[in-house]
Amino acid sequence: MKNYQLAWRNLWRNKRRTLITAASVFFAVFFALVMRSFQLGTYEKMYRDVIESYSGYLQLQHSDYLDESNLDNGFVPEQSLTDIIEADPNVTGVIPKLESFALAAAGSRTRGVMVIGMDPDNEQKTLNIKNRLIKYRLTPDATEALKGENLPSRTAKLVDVFSGEAWTDEKSLISDLGIGDDDSAAVMPLFRKYASLDNRYLTSADSGRAVIGYGLSRYLSADVGDTLVVMGQGYHGVSAAGLFVIKGIVSMPNPEIDNAFVYITLADAQYLYAAPEMVTSAIISISDTDDRELLQTQQRLSASCNDGLVIRNWKEMNALLLNQMEADNKSGAIMIGILYLVIAFGVSGTVLMMMAERRREFGMLVSIGMQKRKLAGIVSMEMLFIGLLGVLAGIAASLPIVYYGYARPLRFTGELAKMYEEYGFEAVMPMHLPDTYYLWQAAIVLLILLIAITFSVRRIFKLNIINAIRA
Amino acid sequence: MKVVEINDVFKTYHDTEVEVKAVNGVTLSFEKGDFAVIVGPSGSGKTTLLNLIGGLDQPTAGEIIVAGHRLSELKPSELIDFRMEHVGFVFQSYNLIPVLTASENVGFIMSLQKWPKEKRMARTGELLEAVGLSDRHSSRPAQLSGGQQQRVAVARALAPRPQFILADEPTANLDTKSAETLLDIMEKLNRGEEMTFIFSTHDARVVKRARRVITLEDGKVVSDERTNHTS
Repeated sequence: MKNYQLAWRNLWRNKRRTLITAASVFFAVFFALVMRSFQLGTYEKMYRDVIESYSGYLQLQHSDYLDESNLDNGFVPEQSLTDIIEADPNVTGVIPKLESFALAAAGSRTRGVMVIGMDPDNEQKTLNIKNRLIKYRLTPDATEALKGENLPSRTAKLVDVFSGEAWTDEKSLISDLGIGDDDSAAVMPLFRKYASLDNRYLTSADSGRAVIGYGLSRYLSADVGDTLVVMGQGYHGVSAAGLFVIKGIVSMPNPEIDNAFVYITLADAQYLYAAPEMVTSAIISISDTDDRELLQTQQRLSASCNDGLVIRNWKEMNALLLNQMEADNKSGAIMIGILYLVIAFGVSGTVLMMMAERRREFGMLVSIGMQKRKLAGIVSMEMLFIGLLGVLAGIAASLPIVYYGYARPLRFTGELAKMYEEYGFEAVMPMHLPDTYYLWQAAIVLLILLIAITFSVRRIFKLNIINAIRA
Repeated sequence: MKVVEINDVFKTYHDTEVEVKAVNGVTLSFEKGDFAVIVGPSGSGKTTLLNLIGGLDQPTAGEIIVAGHRLSELKPSELIDFRMEHVGFVFQSYNLIPVLTASENVGFIMSLQKWPKEKRMARTGELLEAVGLSDRHSSRPAQLSGGQQQRVAVARALAPRPQFILADEPTANLDTKSAETLLDIMEKLNRGEEMTFIFSTHDARVVKRARRVITLEDGKVVSDERTNHTS
């Protein structure tokens, strides 16, 4: 009989104990993977949102701009430098950007806003702001009108829950409001009638037009076609004032940006701030965004910069966001650590009981001629089998949930959503597809098992045969 | 031919504050084909002597030579191999491996010795037949009675053809009929295979069948008698 066969049979001598131990490993692995998937998915979404809708992966800036983000630290980009940057094999484009603060008013309300001037046609190569144009929104009027219609009961309830929310595509709306395939044909025309928004994006030829964030539009009660008054301080202290007709409303993922986002063309921004030809930064779009390649590109481009200009990567520009993620990551690690502590106790308990129960048997096996190393190998295999059962079952059970959570991210509403937004996060929790973190969880469980195995192996090698047989 | 030589062996325990001389200067030898019992009151050192002969324990002083091996010269792992090759054990509480069938239990030591499968199966069948359990080869220990389990244990001990069998109170947990059956089988194997049996026992049924009775008291051999018993 082979060692593994004996180990496998031994495993099922005490079915209940084996199943309980494997179950403790299963639950810990399952919850750890689901939690980690939520964490990593949320982080990835957060930084991708910031990169793709705001900062880009790399920016050309004045060296002081990171600490003092104002027009005084702007610069006039030289064509020769732009040519050098664009010639880099990893660079796909350069998007000059002028960004400053101002007050924006519509009707009787005013708010401090972030005015961003870019060339819309050029910007679309890198950023995905255009995809964030709102297609549907549940204004109070739209909510009331829809509630008056004959909606399926689940959708009617969800219309209340999601009142005030906006959607950039029909698929998300259908998913969030639980509109089934059978109801879609009857229900969607109602949403198109009451909740759709005729929305347009900026073009490079647009002058005096603006695209604003959905949060800002709600605060100002401003809609497409309304006029936005922008007032602020221009370059070298001149006053900046302008009127912009709202052409589109976008839902920006970061609530802080969404509540203050005013996007106009670069030419309009340079005119508004009396800063002709100036920019505060230039977003550099790249093809290979892998961390290593990103840093190498940054190094290559930095070598060409002079006159106080530097190349910054997204991590340098979003240090606060990264710190928040790191803090959250630590708290998540503590939770996962607690889960694994539970496993460690469960497995240790099993090992202790098994060693005590089978002491006489171990004594007998060694006395009839089984070498202790062979016995230790069989016992180690038993522990490994229990661990693998739990780990594999945990992985198998987590996979459908992770794939589902990736395809249909969890979206919070109500108070929980507000809480998220207060922290500056979008109230959405996507999951991260299986990655190296799956291997890590398995490795941690195996490490715990290894400790348990070491303990049992040590006990076997120290086994006193006479005492064991008498046990 | 001497199978076991015990020369002036002592075993002293210091487990408590009192020093206990479990074996106190024993000199004995066992010949091939012996059917010997070691008797004596509780605490007289029977089991300790058996453990020393089987290489499960080391004497405090003296020398034990089994099949030409000086046990004191063997390392722990060599002692395990020595037991596997030369000693068969039968325990009071059977000590079969619960997850193995009767035939797997009998073949266990042979598989540790890496016997070819066919040879192992043949020997297993032969021994199960000899102990009257050829119809129970697929039964697990829990499906066998105490007597049947002990018969499997005897077959297991005999399987690799050891130099001798050490049986510590083999009939203690058996009813009269099972004990008699077991002793019949052991006697038969002793004669048929010329296997040396050394028992430690209180059981008069075993003593009655022995051809040699060694009496221990306070760790010393007080008598060593050959009997005229024939079965």
